[in-house]
Amino acid sequence: MSNVRQSWYEAGARERIAALVDAASFAEFIGPERREISPHLSIFDLPAQFDDGIVVGAAAIDGTPVLVAAQEGRFMGGAFGEVHGAKLTGLLRAAKALGRDVVIAFDTGGVRLQEANAGEIAIAEIMRAVAEARMAGARVVGLIGGRAGCYGGGGLIAGCCSTLIVSEQGRISVSGPEVIETNKGVEEFDSRDRGFVWRTMGGKHRTLIGGADVFVDDDATAFREAARAALARPAGLDAAMLSAEQARLERRIARFGDAPDATDIWRGLGIADPQAIPDMPAAGFADLAAQYRESADDAR
Amino acid sequence: MRQWNTRKTLREERIAAGGAFATGKTIDPARLVDFLEAVLRPSDRVCIEGDNQKQADVLARGLAAVDPARIHDLHMVQSGVVLPEHLDIFETGIAKRLDFSYSGPQSARIAKMLFGGKIELGAIHTYLELFARYFVDLTPQVALIAAVSADRHGNLYTGPNTEDTPTVVEATSFGSGLVIAQVGEIVDTLPRVDIPGDQVHFVLDAGRPFYVEPLFTRDPAAMTETQILTAMLAIKGLYEPYGVRRLNHGIGFNTAAIELLLPTYGEKLGLKGKICTHWALNPHPTLIPAIEAGWVEQVHCFGSEVGMEDYLAARPDIFFTGPDGSLRSNRAFSQTAGLYACDMFIGSTLQIDLAGHSSTITANRIAGFGGAPNMGSDARGRRHPSAPWLQAGAEADPDTAAPLRRGRKLVVQIGETFGEGNAPLFVEKLGALELAEKLDLDLAPIMVYADDTTHIVTEEGIANLLLCRTADEREQAIRGVAGFTEIGRGRDTAMVERLRARKIIQRPEDLGIDPLDANRNMLAARSIKDLMLASGGLYRPPSRFRNW
Repeated sequence: MSNVRQSWYEAGARERIAALVDAASFAEFIGPERREISPHLSIFDLPAQFDDGIVVGAAAIDGTPVLVAAQEGRFMGGAFGEVHGAKLTGLLRAAKALGRDVVIAFDTGGVRLQEANAGEIAIAEIMRAVAEARMAGARVVGLIGGRAGCYGGGGLIAGCCSTLIVSEQGRISVSGPEVIETNKGVEEFDSRDRGFVWRTMGGKHRTLIGGADVFVDDDATAFREAARAALARPAGLDAAMLSAEQARLERRIARFGDAPDATDIWRGLGIADPQAIPDMPAAGFADLAAQYRESADDAR
Repeated sequence: MRQWNTRKTLREERIAAGGAFATGKTIDPARLVDFLEAVLRPSDRVCIEGDNQKQADVLARGLAAVDPARIHDLHMVQSGVVLPEHLDIFETGIAKRLDFSYSGPQSARIAKMLFGGKIELGAIHTYLELFARYFVDLTPQVALIAAVSADRHGNLYTGPNTEDTPTVVEATSFGSGLVIAQVGEIVDTLPRVDIPGDQVHFVLDAGRPFYVEPLFTRDPAAMTETQILTAMLAIKGLYEPYGVRRLNHGIGFNTAAIELLLPTYGEKLGLKGKICTHWALNPHPTLIPAIEAGWVEQVHCFGSEVGMEDYLAARPDIFFTGPDGSLRSNRAFSQTAGLYACDMFIGSTLQIDLAGHSSTITANRIAGFGGAPNMGSDARGRRHPSAPWLQAGAEADPDTAAPLRRGRKLVVQIGETFGEGNAPLFVEKLGALELAEKLDLDLAPIMVYADDTTHIVTEEGIANLLLCRTADEREQAIRGVAGFTEIGRGRDTAMVERLRARKIIQRPEDLGIDPLDANRNMLAARSIKDLMLASGGLYRPPSRFRNW
């Protein structure tokens, strides 16, 4: 029966944290009882949420202290607003100060349009805080497999993480499908062709081109195991790593920049039957990806 | 002397005129519009094949391109007004009068055109009713139909989506009308013959398959806990006590949730083999887990469903399949099955009033009826007994002696008290009534009449209307499950409690159901991908339903 495992895709932010960390180890910072709600949404007659759509706090994974954050994709599509962004910024600054690793469960459409300026500033502050925490020796691990995917500024922050763990349902990008279609036309990108959307932005493609590091099944236990492994990897961020990654991305665009479809890229990577990729089960795909994927250099 | 063969003579003239743009029966695709102008006459009764699923789309486009100065005032008699071209021809004057059945995606535009007087409306029918009139007073003079392929003699293979084709061709061809088929390809040998070539006069090689809409696919990922609760109520409060084995489901999420709860919740209740064994139903992907778990013995289909073809071919014990292995559907036969041979219809609606009338028509949208009223009505001509039918009949009329008492079909409306866009399911006055006043119609377009409706299921509970003895009891039974809608808040609380004591109203707790148990982990599949995996990879979901 399909209901023995807990689906990461279907879980809420608090369920994800509960599945991720040691039992009873989680202590929330600025919890909903503090009612730190968005100061902007009421202007638009929109409902607020007492945690502003993100849960942050301290916990332990296998007894090792970590900091954790989880976005609630079901509130405003997990979008970044002023309070939401400040909670994550603060968590990352604490990571730098404490030298402690951070695990972030992304589930976001990007910046909230209703508080765009505050949201955009928050994205910039978070990216800086991620970089500073990593330079101080902390690992920042991103988990992506929620309904909202990881879009807009969320995609930029994900690109700064030390390790990204993704499931097939997880999508990573900056501009979303509808935005691309609106700006470039349906011939360029048909946002209603969901197979195409996932082929282009989904977890399998991101894994194959080095946009994500670890591919897991849509299973909360699998995300936890992958996070444990990621937290055991070497930490650090320096100019040499960034240069290497920049060179890889330049090679990638030279090689695949004209590919009309992700399947062309997969064929280019040496995969014999790229059409079969979307329907492959997770385990088989992970083996195949290990053989053919481009690896990133801990920065993407 | 009276001529007794004027219709056949006219058909001969049409065939001769059309022959100028065809080689044998094969129309020159480049001359399609000339061809149509040659075979059609002003004021003809014309059927463009199309329903809620398949469409003779290339022929519809061709018809929309004819010169209105030559071909005008057509009387369209067709199941579905679905493609933009179906209404474009009324804008240009090619067509004038309309008798139809279903208009899902065009419901807003058709309403606007009816208000604007662009369309002279005959009537809105059920499928079966329109098919019946094809044989009495609405026989098409020209039918534009769709098939998968043809051979050189005009024999047609309609494939899994046979749907309306045999009915339309029967009425048109044997009624001395002209049958024109669009096909995806012309081949030497057909996989099977669905329509004999001597009933088909012309064939157009469209070079691609006809359009089909995957209307019956419901993504389990979008199913809510409230819908799951209503599904649990229906299984435990209706399917189990009545022992419903032969049934039809509507296309909503509530009934899809029932399908997905059979192998889990239904199994826990020990109902396997006791309910839901025989169906008149399209091949819903959400039925796959129940079929695979051995719940289902047989399903007859109105049409097919995009992506289900290989799965259906691999389960011939369950589905009706041809010598080629693929599904054979037939809308007229399956509607008849739903009317006469099923003991329950359960579906969702948009509005229910205080008497229990329901409608999917609002003042600005005319979606038509399709087949729901055929399934969702008591067949007065039914004579064979079955346990659920007899039990429902006894509840409705306990005083008549059993041998003289009619049974009753269970006709169930299921939904949340507030539907899409937070619109209340229960209303004081149906939008259909306002529409009838605005258009000066003799009949308000009611989907299911109050006297056919036996039960209403919402998240607040089940109202059994069979047990109500007065109009007042009926009204309070409906108010009693109407939740926090205006109608629900207007209830007589004391009377509702009395109805509850008589089991006219049953709450979740009365049935031993804890609403907190209604969660998505109960679903046998929680995503389209789960459905694909449950089918062993045989179900191939269309791209629009994928998130992989």
